[in-house]
This record gives sequence, C-alpha cells and structure tokens, in this order.
Amino acid sequence: MGIQEPTTNKILELRNLTIDFGGVRAVNDLSLSIAPGEFIGLIGPNGAGKTTVFNLITNAYQATSGDILFEGKSVRGVTPDKICRMGISRTFQNIRLFPHMTVYENVELGLHAQPHYSLFESFVRLPRASRAEREARQKAHELLEMVNLEQHANAVAGSLPYGLQRRLEIARAVAADPKILLLDEPAAGMNEDECNDLVRLIRQIHESKKFTIIMIEHHMAVVMDLCKDHRIYVLTLGSLLTYGGPAEIQSNPQVIKAYLGEKKDGRNKRVS
Amino acid sequence: MDLFIQQLINGVSIGAIYSLLAVGYALVYSVYNFTNWAFDGFMAFGAFMGFTAIASMSMPFWAAATVSMILTIVLSVGVEKLAYQPLRVRKAPRLFMMISAMGVNLAIVNTINKLYTGTLRRFPIPDSWTQTITIGQASIGQMDIVAAIIAFILLAILWIFLYKTKWGLGVRASSIDILTSSLMGINNNAVAFIIFATTGVLSSVAGVFFGIKYAVYPLMGGPVTIKAMIASIVGGLGSLPAAVVGSMILGVLETMVSGYISSSYRDLFAFAFLIVILLFFPNGLMGKETGEKL
Amino acid sequence: MSNQKKLLIFLGGTILTIVTLFVLVQIAGVGYFQNISILAGITLIATLGVAILTGYTGLFTIGHAGFMAMGGYLAAILVKEYHVPFILALMGGGIFAGFTSFIIGYPAFRSRLRGDYFAIATLGFAEAIRLLLNNVRAIGPIKLGGSFGYMDIPSLNVLCWEWLGSDGWNGVIVVLLFAVGTLVMTHMFVKSQYGKNCIAVCQDEVAAQMMGVDLMRTKMLALFISAFFAGVAGALMAFYYGYLTPGFFMITRSSDLLAGVVFGGMQSLIGPTITSIVLVAVPEVLRGINEYRLIAYGLFFVIVMIFRPQGLLGYVEMNFDFVRQLWRREPAKATGK
Repeated sequence: MGIQEPTTNKILELRNLTIDFGGVRAVNDLSLSIAPGEFIGLIGPNGAGKTTVFNLITNAYQATSGDILFEGKSVRGVTPDKICRMGISRTFQNIRLFPHMTVYENVELGLHAQPHYSLFESFVRLPRASRAEREARQKAHELLEMVNLEQHANAVAGSLPYGLQRRLEIARAVAADPKILLLDEPAAGMNEDECNDLVRLIRQIHESKKFTIIMIEHHMAVVMDLCKDHRIYVLTLGSLLTYGGPAEIQSNPQVIKAYLGEKKDGRNKRVS
Repeated sequence: MDLFIQQLINGVSIGAIYSLLAVGYALVYSVYNFTNWAFDGFMAFGAFMGFTAIASMSMPFWAAATVSMILTIVLSVGVEKLAYQPLRVRKAPRLFMMISAMGVNLAIVNTINKLYTGTLRRFPIPDSWTQTITIGQASIGQMDIVAAIIAFILLAILWIFLYKTKWGLGVRASSIDILTSSLMGINNNAVAFIIFATTGVLSSVAGVFFGIKYAVYPLMGGPVTIKAMIASIVGGLGSLPAAVVGSMILGVLETMVSGYISSSYRDLFAFAFLIVILLFFPNGLMGKETGEKL
Repeated sequence: MSNQKKLLIFLGGTILTIVTLFVLVQIAGVGYFQNISILAGITLIATLGVAILTGYTGLFTIGHAGFMAMGGYLAAILVKEYHVPFILALMGGGIFAGFTSFIIGYPAFRSRLRGDYFAIATLGFAEAIRLLLNNVRAIGPIKLGGSFGYMDIPSLNVLCWEWLGSDGWNGVIVVLLFAVGTLVMTHMFVKSQYGKNCIAVCQDEVAAQMMGVDLMRTKMLALFISAFFAGVAGALMAFYYGYLTPGFFMITRSSDLLAGVVFGGMQSLIGPTITSIVLVAVPEVLRGINEYRLIAYGLFFVIVMIFRPQGLLGYVEMNFDFVRQLWRREPAKATGK
C-alpha cells in the first residue's frame, strides 16, 4: 500500500498493455500493479488514453497485445458482463444512466449482476424470489441514502440535474458490489462546493466498503486529496510517464510539461 | 456446361438488380443507421408508375421509365421529409425510425393494392425485346443482359459521384459521422435529399426491371428487398462495395440452386445463406466492427 | 393520481366494459361474440409475446407470424395424427416455436452491429417458413397440404372439456383462461429481475453490459418467450379454425402484432392488451373499413412515432398497489416498482 507498487498480492496488474486503433496507438506498453484497497489516481492531458485503459480493463475493447490480470488470473478474453460479475464495476465519462428508468430502478439494476433466483421462480413467485426482491429493494434504498438521493427515488433518471446524475451513476456502480471500482471523471463539470461534497462521498465509500478504487480525474484538488498516501499514475499519449505520491507528482517537471506544454517566448522559440 | 453459363449470366443479371437495391439500402443505413423498409414500397411504386404510364397513357418505354424515376424520387424524398426527418432531428432511437419506416411501407404497398388490386400484370414492352440470345445450348434473355448493363452503369455513376465529386465527399463524410460533418459545414438537408433521391432512382429502376422479368403486382417488392437486405448484410452492413459483392454472390448462388436443385426453394436459400454466413462471419464477409465511443 | 381516483377509474372501466359486452351480445348474437372473444384472446397472447421482445427489450420483429405457424402446425399434427392431449400439444407447439427462435437469435445477436440484423432475420425467417409450408405437400405419411392447407384439425369445441360449457362456450373459456394466464405470466416476468434486465438492454445496451447483464442471454430469453407465446397462439388458432394454411401467416399477421405494441405503448402490458383487443374487435364490427386497415396502420405507425412515441399507455404498468393501500388505509406512497 502506498507509494510503491505492490510486489505480491496484486488485485489488478496490467502487463505491457497495448491497443492500436487502425494507425493510432492509443495505449502503449502500459504496466502497473495495484494492491487491494488502494485508491489510485489516473491523470494526464486529454487524449492520453485514460478512458481507453478503463475500456481495456473492462474488456469493452480488446487489447492488441499485453495482458490484464485480475486477482492473478488473466481476464483478456472475458466478456464485459462477466468482468462486472467477477468484481470490476465502473462509471462513464459521458454519463450512461438508463434514462427512462427511475433513480431507484437504476441502482437496483446494479444489484442484478448476480442472479438471485431462477426464471421459473420468477414466473411462479415462490417465497425465495419474493424475499430476494425485498432484500434487493432494501439494499437499493440504503445505497440511495448513502449518496443522498433517497428523496429522488422515483424521479426519472434522465430528468435529474447533472450533478445528481453523477452521484446516481456512482451509486449504481457501487451496487454491483465490486472489488475494484473504476470512476471516470466523477467531478467533471462540478464547481468547488460540489467537488468537496463529492470528495467526501467518495472517501466515505472507500472507507466503509474498503474496495479498490481507480479514479480518472482532471480536477487536481480532488485527485490530490483522495489519493493522499496512495499512488497517482500519469499518462501521456498512451504511455506511462511516471507514478508516485501526490507531492512527487505535483512537483515533477515532466508532469507539468505534459499538461502545460513547453514554455515558449514571444517569438515562439523554446525557452530552455 | 452451357447450362452453367446460362445460370451464371442469369445469376449475374439478378445480382446486378439486387445490387441496386442493396446499395440503396446500404447507403441509407450507413448514414442514418436504420433500415429503410419503405424501399420495398418504392420499388413497387416505380414499377406501377412505369406500368401506368405505358398501359394507360401510351407513353414510350424510355419516357415511362423516366417518369417513373422522377415520381419515385418525389415519393422517396417526401417520405424522408415527413416520416424520417422529424424523428432524426430529435435523435429518436433507431427502433422508432424502423417502426416509422415499416409504417410508410405498409401504407404505400397497401394503397397500391387498394388502387390496382393484386392481379399480376405483365409489364408492357415490345415483343421484340423479350427475345433470347442463344449461345450453344444456353439461351439468355436480351432484357436480362440489358438490365445487368444498365445496373452496372448506374452503380458506376454512383461510384463516380461518391468518390470523385465534392457532393459525394459530403455524403461519405456524413456516413462516418453525421454530426461532425454538419459542423464542418455540410448541409444535412442536401445530403438527405441526395441519398433519398438516389434510393428513389435505384428502386424505380429495379422495380421496372423486375416488373419486366417477372410481373407487376403490389407485393412484388417484398421477396426482392428481403434478399437485397440479406445481400447487404452478407457483404457487410454499411459498406457499399460489400453490398454489391453480397448481391452478386447471392444472385449467382441462388440461380444455381434454382437451376440445379429446385426453383421452389430458391427464396428459402437466401434465408439459409444469411444464417450460415452470420454464423461464420458475424459482421458479414467484408464487414468491420464499429464500436461506440464509451 | 390519488388512490381513490384509481379505484373509481378501475371500477368504472370494468362496469363499462361489461355493459358494452352485454349490449354487443344482444345486438350481434352469441356466436359472433364468441368468435371475437376467441380471436381477441389468441391475438392477445401473441401480442404480449411481441410486447416483451419489442416493447420491453427494444428488438424490432416483423416475423412472429412464423413462430405462430411453427406452433400451430406442430400442435395440429400432434393432436390430429398422434392424438396427443390438447394441453400438451399446445405447450409442445409453444416450446417448438421457442426453440426455432434460436436459429435466428443466435447468429443475429452475436454481431456487434445491433438491431437491424435481427429485424431483417425475423422477416426472412417468417417468409422462409411460409414458403416452406407452401411447398411441402407431405412429410412422410402426414399430408400437410402445401398451399392448400392442413385440413380436418380437431376443433376447440371437441377438444376442450365439455363440462365447461356447451355451444362453443367451452372453447371461449379455455382461450380466455390461456389469455389471462399469459397476461399474468408476462406481468411476473417484467417485474422480475429478468424483465428488468430486458428493459436495461433496451435503454442502454452498453451500460447494461458493463453492469453485469449478459446481453446474449437476455435477448435470447426475451426472444424465446415471445416465440413461445406466439406458438401457443398459433396452436389455438389451428384448433379454432379447424384447418391451417400458410396464408394465415403472412406479413400482415406480424404487422398486426407489432401494431398492438406500437399503438399500445412500449414497456407496457396493459397498453398492448387494450389495443390488441380493440384492433381485433373494431374491424370485425366495422367490416367495411377492413380494406383500409393496413393503410391506416401504416400511417398511424408514422404518426404515433412522431407525435406520441409512447403510444397509448407506454411505460405505464399494471399495478394493483392502490387496492392494497386503500384496503390497509396506507397513504399513497410512490413505490419503487
């Protein structure tokens, strides 16, 4: 745990992960290791390939080469729904809620990753099915309370304001009871107050549920706060630039250059 | 051997006609991402307009064919404006667009049925045109060859338009990403007009030729357009060259089955062919997977 | 809407329906009424199947007449040639139709380009079945009759237990029982976890998959169920008419089923139920307009999609919670479905 990569007990390991889209190499030879319970930040300028990494981990995209090991076993050919059932759940950069379902129904769907009863039982409504439904309902309401959306339970998801939609997506992802939670820019478009609330929420989730979280984020304050005592990985143009603790990353000149570009003087000549 | 050549040429001719429809279908699909069921109705409409022009108004063939083409263009573009555009601009899910398209088709085909009744009609062409050319033991219909040639000419014109003109470039850009191309200044309404006018032309030509080869009746579009869609899928949905390839393969194979096995099972073959191809080539023979941006 | 109001509407609607039915029977005669009831019941069963596939899972189908044909012919053969008991034959027809659905479902759902492969395959399938039936005169000793039809199928009145009623009422009651049973079963399905997976697949397939929903399995299940119900409906049709021809299973039949769902509403069972019954009853009552029926359907498909895509009662679910709440004097709280 902490600033060094784990050598044993890795819940997730990427080995030389590469993906090409036609002529473009979106992720290049990426290797990293994460221990259970860590809170990992993934940052980098736009187009660096961060969301692509999430898509690779969940197998929405197939890697061109390299390997992905979840709890020590390769998951490269596994279908995305199976990956979710194995324990990796995510939110999306462009929110993907089920727009015509209610807030409650969206969260409840996250609980469905594991079938609770057989098809026959659903037709005949045996006690086991009813009980499973009741338990699911209770868990869903607990999750809604946790993200403070309980009062909106019957609102249609598509009609919620943006900030609440983001929270709902997080609740849905947590409902899947994951071992690794992938958060893709959860603070996008939020102002400072909203960011603070979000940080509190995510920290609360991390501390109570104790699963591993990997977070892509552009709001540096959010990243530095949540990743205290943990690692941040910096990606540029598909390759890993460096990794380290928040303090190191913030003061690393290469990282600064990657984000801001090189300094140039008035005549557009490079200033060394 | 002669039988083989006869079947082969027949198959190529049929395949050429299928290509017209398959390309029209693939064009709409590649830009707008939905299945335009209505081109079944457009084809029947084109055939009936040509038929009426000759039978009731005694127009000469080429005039009738042109009239048919123009009227079908009007119908096609009108359908786009009234039934598809309103859904498109509010980004309706493709299920809704398919339902609308199916509705248009039902309306057109059944209106024709009501006006003309279901009797099979012979498309009126001069008898001299129905002559056959004999090569050895094979006899090939003159019209079949003409149909194939005209079909290929039309496809060539379309190809030149799409790849060698500025307008064509706009259409191709729209087939990749319609939103971005409109932001780049491509006029979406003009693109819609071009695409559906093209569908109208292709459908009416196919309708007239099928009317000549077989018969003119309200439901004539059905079996043919199913096969054109299957051909497009087999080739690889969304790609125009693939639609042509799929159509030629289907046309030839189907004619072979009809000639060597049995003609009653010819139409069944198309469906079985679809299933088998999809089992081994989930994206068609030449298809590429397109993913969504996540 | 308050619970009291819901109760009033429900009671009012039921009374109105009963009165209308009574008047109709007086005017048109018992036999006519029986005919409409049976046809409405049969159509309802098949429409509910399509509602699950298209209304809830979002998969366009224009080929369910094919499944009705499969179920119809098999059940008819089982009873006429092999004297299989009536109910078993019905179930057999449904299951047979269900398994045939795998032929189009498996290849079509595998590919990444969603939606349209399946739609075209349903059309191709239905037409292929019809052509096959048109051309097959006999399978071994069983004379299917090709386009002339499969004749002398035992009739409903004979097959259904006579103690249920005489003068054809036994048939009506059995069909209505099956229709109600189908309604109950589909209701259970859509409220269950499996039904909710279907809805998720309909609204955002990618997100559903990322949340652990097995797309292939969900779609195949919805397809199987819809084909099963279509098969049972086709079987009932065979016994009602006493004969079957491929002409019963043309595209117009599939369009009728789709119309029930499009007009009745997506993601709803009550909408398609009401609509399909109305769509059966009205053309029968107004014989003259039957010719224009399909033209009207076509135009209304477009109009509904543009102006009211949710149809009559889309996204409205049958819910008797209001009864329970009134009974227990609970305040009307919005329940998570």
